[in-house]
Amino acid sequence: MASIPPKPENPLHLHTTKLTLGCPILDSFLGGGIPCGSITELVGESSAGKTQLCLQLLLSSLLPPSLGGLSSPSLYIYSEPPFPLRRLLRLSLPSLPPCPLDHVFVRLSTHPDDLLSLLSHLPDSLPVRLIVIDSIAALFRSEFDNTPRDLKSRSSLFFKISTKLKDRARKLGAAVVVTNHVVDVVEAECGGARCLWSSGRRVVPALGLAWSHCVNTRVFLTRSEGMSRSSNGEECEVRTRRMHVVFSPCLPERSCEFAIVGHGVLGVG
Amino acid sequence: MMEISSLPISASHRSKLLSAGYTTLSSLSAVSPLQLSRDLNVALQEAVDILKVSSESCRVEVQDGDVEFCKGAQTAWDMLSEEQALRHISTGSGDLDSIFGGGIHCKEVTEIGGVPGIGKTQLGIQLAINVQIPYDFGGLGGKAIYIDTEGSFMAERAYQIAEASIWDTFDNFGCQPKEIPEKLKPESFLANIFYFRICSYTEQIALINYLEQFLVEHKDVKIVIIDSVTFHFRQDFDDLAIRTRVLGGMSLKLMNLAKKFSLSVVLMNQVTTKFTEGSFHLTLALGDSWSHSCTNRVILYWNGNDRHAYLDKSPYLRPASVHFSVTGKGIRDATSQCKRVRMM
Repeated sequence: MASIPPKPENPLHLHTTKLTLGCPILDSFLGGGIPCGSITELVGESSAGKTQLCLQLLLSSLLPPSLGGLSSPSLYIYSEPPFPLRRLLRLSLPSLPPCPLDHVFVRLSTHPDDLLSLLSHLPDSLPVRLIVIDSIAALFRSEFDNTPRDLKSRSSLFFKISTKLKDRARKLGAAVVVTNHVVDVVEAECGGARCLWSSGRRVVPALGLAWSHCVNTRVFLTRSEGMSRSSNGEECEVRTRRMHVVFSPCLPERSCEFAIVGHGVLGVG
Repeated sequence: MMEISSLPISASHRSKLLSAGYTTLSSLSAVSPLQLSRDLNVALQEAVDILKVSSESCRVEVQDGDVEFCKGAQTAWDMLSEEQALRHISTGSGDLDSIFGGGIHCKEVTEIGGVPGIGKTQLGIQLAINVQIPYDFGGLGGKAIYIDTEGSFMAERAYQIAEASIWDTFDNFGCQPKEIPEKLKPESFLANIFYFRICSYTEQIALINYLEQFLVEHKDVKIVIIDSVTFHFRQDFDDLAIRTRVLGGMSLKLMNLAKKFSLSVVLMNQVTTKFTEGSFHLTLALGDSWSHSCTNRVILYWNGNDRHAYLDKSPYLRPASVHFSVTGKGIRDATSQCKRVRMM
């Protein structure tokens, strides 16, 4: 059987579309938004704002390209019920099409094999150009023991899931966003990954080194509490949220402050 | 092999070169005009002229070598001089070049491993750009093949790196920006990268089998970068013996291509943790037998907040470690003033 020789592409014609986060400050921080065609990971402790950001992306994907969107429905795969429907209802972006929630597909998946079969059976005709998995860590929380055999099959699953997602991302020019938990660092060693600080804890992303090879861009969300003196002289507690680029093929390491308000997530510039 | 003494330059320059330790033409091949002007204590333009004369003499020498080669007779001495006349591909950082022995060598397979975010893809893009620096400016003037298995190659980043590389090269030669020829624009540097996106290990093997044919048609390719060689081999292989055999066949083909087409093959590898003697430590992926499949092996790692590179395996260079940095312009030497602020 004669096979068709692979054809090289000209990088001049490789343009990476970016999906807007719905906030100009955050967009410029991420070089235009979430890159299509690869996997972006949002990692952070619980209530760091990962899900908030994901929900906002589900809506911004519906926006027309002129506003930084993809004019495309989005798929939200969640592994930690319940689905935050009320929060999604409160979010709003200007210029959304009528009945935006008609264009957000939602699916529960609680097992890695289930996720794999779901991704394998996504029809190419389904024009979804944003896939969110919230969270990847919860899928692997209880299924595996800390034995070499289990760790090996676990990392093999990571690479399978990542390959499926990247395939989809490439074929449809889709943006893929996955969220991940953090684990505390107990020893001085962090196994090659550099430690990060959140709420005064020293943490590293969950799922280890193998998974970190599976994502293209890693964005870390942190929060910290501190005391500050307000204008009338009273001491009050302030919570600062920050977003850090840990690694990315086209962005330097950097960070920016953000806030979560009633109608969504906003950068603080 | 040509000596400095036979170069058509002034006697004073010749003696200055010799007393500064530049005794052979090859010793001049990797030096920048700025460095040379400092070493010889001459004006920059004089250094540029010396390098121009020496690179022309080098070229004559290469042509002579080719004639020898065509006759099919080649002694070890010929091989040595041919190799010394070969240019190396600069990483963009002089310090990093030094642990590779003056840059990435042609005819060799170089493996570069490290944790995500350490700069493997950045180095890959940098090499795909730097291989294109014209011969007259100390480069190879070649093209690049970039095989992307992970989807991390970004054209906009390649553009930034190309722009900075062109500017720095001209700056080193003391040229004005307006003298930059039209063909040396970032656009043409990007267009000279043959980019292949690979989505499975079967595609990867098929492409490597096809490379020879492609290289016959594109003889000006001087570097093949696979970023990463590992990704698709970390799933679906329950039988490790089969994986070892497949990888072995692939690395043999790549070594042959490097020799046959006189080009450099750079393989990016991932790292994994290995449990030995009661503790976990980092090691390159794909197992022990794979580690025989490259000529040189360099591991990139974090030392606090600094990026370092460690030469782990080389047939002739000592193990060594250097500090480098990834900047907006690409890979560069680490300088003390650009120390990053610790992340809070």
